[in-house]
Amino acid sequence: MAHAERFSQDAPTDRLLAFIEFLRGRDILISPADSLVAMEVAGLVGYDDRTLLKNGLGSALAKSKFEIEVFNEAFEQYFGAPSSDKSKNENSSSSADDSTGDSPSSQELGEQLSQAMQAQPELAKNLSSELVEALKSGDEAAIAIAVETAAQQVDVSAIKLLTQRGQYIRKMLDALGEQALRDAAVELESTEPAAFEAVQALREQLRNKVRDRVDRAYMVHASGDAEDMLDEALSNMSLGNVDQHHRARLKRLLERMTRKLAARHGRVRKRVKRGQLAVPATLRKAMATDGVPFKPQWRKSVRRKPQILILCDVSGSVAAYAKFLLLFLHSLQDILPRTRSFAFSSNLGEVTETLRALPVEIAIERVNLKYGGATDYARAFEDFASLAMTDINRVTTVIILGDARNNNTDPRLDLLAEIRSKCRQLIWLNPESQRSWGTGDSEMPGVIRNCDVAAECSTLKQLERVIDDLLVQLNS
Amino acid sequence: MSHSFPKLESVDSIVESLATAGYICNEQIATVVYLAAALEKPILVEGPPGVGKTELAKSCAQVTGAPLVRLQCYEGLDESKAIYEWKYGKQLLYTQLLKTQLSEVMEGAQGLRASIERLHSFDDVFFSKEFLEPRPLLQAIDAEGGVVLLVDEIDKADFEFESLLLEVLSDFQVSIPELGTLQGRSKPLVFLTSNDTRDLSDALKRRCLHLHIDFPTTELEGRIVRARVPQITEAMTDHLVTFVSKVREMDLKKLPSVSETIDWAKSLVLLHADSLDEELVKSSLNALLKYEEDLTSVVENLVDLLNTEKRAANA
Repeated sequence: MAHAERFSQDAPTDRLLAFIEFLRGRDILISPADSLVAMEVAGLVGYDDRTLLKNGLGSALAKSKFEIEVFNEAFEQYFGAPSSDKSKNENSSSSADDSTGDSPSSQELGEQLSQAMQAQPELAKNLSSELVEALKSGDEAAIAIAVETAAQQVDVSAIKLLTQRGQYIRKMLDALGEQALRDAAVELESTEPAAFEAVQALREQLRNKVRDRVDRAYMVHASGDAEDMLDEALSNMSLGNVDQHHRARLKRLLERMTRKLAARHGRVRKRVKRGQLAVPATLRKAMATDGVPFKPQWRKSVRRKPQILILCDVSGSVAAYAKFLLLFLHSLQDILPRTRSFAFSSNLGEVTETLRALPVEIAIERVNLKYGGATDYARAFEDFASLAMTDINRVTTVIILGDARNNNTDPRLDLLAEIRSKCRQLIWLNPESQRSWGTGDSEMPGVIRNCDVAAECSTLKQLERVIDDLLVQLNS
Repeated sequence: MSHSFPKLESVDSIVESLATAGYICNEQIATVVYLAAALEKPILVEGPPGVGKTELAKSCAQVTGAPLVRLQCYEGLDESKAIYEWKYGKQLLYTQLLKTQLSEVMEGAQGLRASIERLHSFDDVFFSKEFLEPRPLLQAIDAEGGVVLLVDEIDKADFEFESLLLEVLSDFQVSIPELGTLQGRSKPLVFLTSNDTRDLSDALKRRCLHLHIDFPTTELEGRIVRARVPQITEAMTDHLVTFVSKVREMDLKKLPSVSETIDWAKSLVLLHADSLDEELVKSSLNALLKYEEDLTSVVENLVDLLNTEKRAANA
């Protein structure tokens, strides 16, 4: 079988590349160099032993605990469940839901069909294609080639939407010449019930294979795009408007953003001021070499760890946004270890411990219960001043999240000014759009005068940008 | 420059030969070791403490018969301690030697220009390999016939140190500003271990094969215990590992590692125990758990843990 050999040589490489593409769609960063290593690995371990292949590829492609989990799942999904019949699987690249359980094997079906064909020479003429031969003899490799050829003919990799599946399956079946089988089935239905059953079973087998192929194409080429589209839309949607249904996805998105930010800002480099000689250190070092200064030492600047204080309005209108801000900053715990959170609506209290001890979702509900109510900024600022004013110093960043609507009472902006004069920077985040700042009972104009940065933070994207900027500043 | 690890030529033989060295491993670990030897790539081993990351490197050295060069990482580790350093004392002596030699060289030179020319023609070995003190990384690539290089707890080193490693790991060479590039004589089999206390840089990860070792299955752990503590009975081993795996399911400050299971097994053997009962467990549990809170919470649930374990043994 000449073409079967060609198939088994080329196809695995292509499939591996497609698998890598699939992994990239799952947020695993794979560089071309990694792909090359994966190729080498596959060349060494071969495609016959699934576990071996999985372990090998995993070591080359998945680089962290998180990625290993994603990889394992993707591998199972992509390379299908383990096939019990290994020798059969060697030449075929089809995933393995061929013959299930007690249904007759394709050989038996083929024999039944052959008998019917001998009885009706006319039928035999119609069913003389290579594909039918392959189906009849159960030649997996030949079927797989036929399916693959058909897939290329109809360009199945152009699939974009899940709803196109049926259309592509039909197209591929037509390209395979399944029409002949269908006609045969119609003809046999009344005359030869046994042969009819056989034809139907073979058609079903073929259909399953084609469906698998289309599903795989969708998974590799389109599912990633569709996900990306939804993610993009969600991260630009106002957080207060995201419905319950998409909350889980939003959380996943947020986790991904925090991972990205943590990776980007996590490493605080030691800063050595090259060019400024540290004389005492150099002399000390020179003592070992009889006072000859072989190794000049340079001045280092010691950076004090940044501290962040977050004040969140948890009254009804802003609570949804507060939740995401807190979720965001607390998932960055590793790179911002000195973060303290306060919640307020009328009175204010520290919630750092609650957030640390409980999962964020539950913690926020509890905080809401305790501090929820009508907003009173004056009261909140007073409480904050008595709680934490003495802890604010030149490394402190204060972030306040609120809509600055104070029901037409005095918001005590003088306290805000005092906080600003003591801290490194004061950031005000407002979930309302910039256009409505200052309308009605909004105190935003006064607030803007009294803080370093005032930004809108209604969407996840905006929130990410604000925190990204903040981390850049803290590390500079 | 070819790799010389003849004993690491197939996955099955690696499992076997590591077992003879007392290191019981699963197929995954063996696969990665095999690939590392075949592709000449370093292995980055991650996982909780005490699952045998360092032990893997040691056992590989034992199996291949190659010497083990170990570099323990810590905060502040720099190139002078990891790659090379100049022998300052010898260089000082050399300059003093030079002083006497120089007057001979300079004899009869007319004017500054001629002196400088004479000086240039003079062979200078101030910066040469003779005055180079090789540190573990340079030792490892400069050794004849391949060694096993263990860079232990890389996550403890500074971020800057990772960049220093890159050249050694990907090209097996070292660049010394004063001398140029020193190409290694052999390619070592490299193990980097990390306890996952921080993320390593992508550049480093990209150059390595990744191996995550987790707590072993009860079956595997039983085999490990029997290999390490041969005196223990089979029934006792089963009780022990089922108990430990139950303990690992609890919410503890520090989960017991494989090395602690082995310690506990050893102490039980010393106590001549042949079955796990409450008193025995209570008195010897501090070999397994290292925090007071963990100890109390396990002792509180002891009856439960032992019962389920017995039921599992009966079934």
